[in-house]
Amino acid sequence: MEKPWGILLLALGLALAQSVSEILDRVERNLQDPWQAVVQGQIQGPGGQEELKARVLAIPKENLFRIEFQKPGSLEGNFTVITEKEVWNYLYLTNQLIVSPKEKAQVQGLGFSPQGLGDLKGLSERVSLRLVGEERLPEGVAWKLVGRAQEGQGFATLELYILKNDPRPVRFVFRDEAGKVMADLRVVEFKKASLRPQDLKRYPKDAQVVRR
Amino acid sequence: MKRIWWAGWVVLGLALAQGRLEAGVYGVSGSLASTLEGGFTLEPGEVYGKLQVGQESRGALGLSSSLALGPLGYLAYGLQAEVGVGGLGGMAFAEGGAGPLALAARLGYRSKRVFPLFPEEGVFGRLSLRYRLVPKEVVGLLLERGEVLRAEVSYALREEATYTLGAGFSGLPYLVLGWKGEVGEGMEVLDLALRLGGLNRLEAGLYLGEASLFLTLSYPFAGSLGVWLGDLGLEGGYREAPYAWVRYAWRWP
Repeated sequence: MEKPWGILLLALGLALAQSVSEILDRVERNLQDPWQAVVQGQIQGPGGQEELKARVLAIPKENLFRIEFQKPGSLEGNFTVITEKEVWNYLYLTNQLIVSPKEKAQVQGLGFSPQGLGDLKGLSERVSLRLVGEERLPEGVAWKLVGRAQEGQGFATLELYILKNDPRPVRFVFRDEAGKVMADLRVVEFKKASLRPQDLKRYPKDAQVVRR
Repeated sequence: MKRIWWAGWVVLGLALAQGRLEAGVYGVSGSLASTLEGGFTLEPGEVYGKLQVGQESRGALGLSSSLALGPLGYLAYGLQAEVGVGGLGGMAFAEGGAGPLALAARLGYRSKRVFPLFPEEGVFGRLSLRYRLVPKEVVGLLLERGEVLRAEVSYALREEATYTLGAGFSGLPYLVLGWKGEVGEGMEVLDLALRLGGLNRLEAGLYLGEASLFLTLSYPFAGSLGVWLGDLGLEGGYREAPYAWVRYAWRWP
């Protein structure tokens, strides 16, 4: 009797795993055209609990994302650009553009990975996500995916909510090893936008470019 | 034979590493000097070198490393050893920023200056601290002992452009006024700074991307005008005597 149960559980596991990739495919199809949104919520910064607000600009077909930080105040004017192979971090106070290969650009200190906010498919390669159910959020019914991160991501687990009727991420909850919330972020003011790659790759022409 | 193999491997390693090389000719009062600056990014950090060969020659070898904190900040630090006219010398440095604080510090010694790559003489140092009070306001402190001796405090306000007001002391008090802002659609930048009093200097920089222009004018009279056109750098001016400096930079990969 134990065997059919085992097979059933295996089949269920495969079905759910299938669902995760299917959900991410739906998100990818839905977010093919350029879009922009605001990500806001609480993060566990170096100085304790802080409010984060950032504008995310995306051209998914070009694998190009830009995150412009508006809060906390110490990050205002800083931005991150994620290209096919690189991550650029512009630091307003020192007027530097730090360019790193994607694999070297791990982020500690923010409690979450800003790269993941724009690039969901990329995030899912570093976090083993599984579907745990559905939840009703203010935006509508959403799939709830949870997963454990590979080492070096700056967080241990992730809860990701994806809107069912308009497949796109609406909430990210990043936790540490002890299960403490490091960042709880909502995606608001989402809209399709007309964006060009050069708009996302803009940086002050007097910035010092540092290649790592 | 073994040595040649090793040299070959080292050259190949450096060629494959990310790097930059800047070669130039500096001419002043009828004499010429070659200048060479290079840096190679390796796994633990960057190895860099500077060499000036002319009537007076000097070279430096440095190691620098860095700590990147993503959008939170970046810190680079290193050590440089020098040899050449006047004997040995060296310098330690750290610069970068994290959150609301930015720092640039260096401390070094050389017994004799060699323009243009080694412009300071004796014990030289610089400490610059800047703190972001609120998102649009930054206060700064600068202490310097190098080509000039000065102490300076400043306040910068960003309202579209950045306006700087400050005061300093270099033998006598001086006033600092600054303006920096975008002058084009593509984030082209004009940066102006004027110091009047104990230090008299106008500095202007126009950054257009493929081209950059620099101008400095000082009293007692000294001045320079420079331009970088892509990888070609041209500079001319007067510093105790008329001079010219032509440079070309290679960067790879």
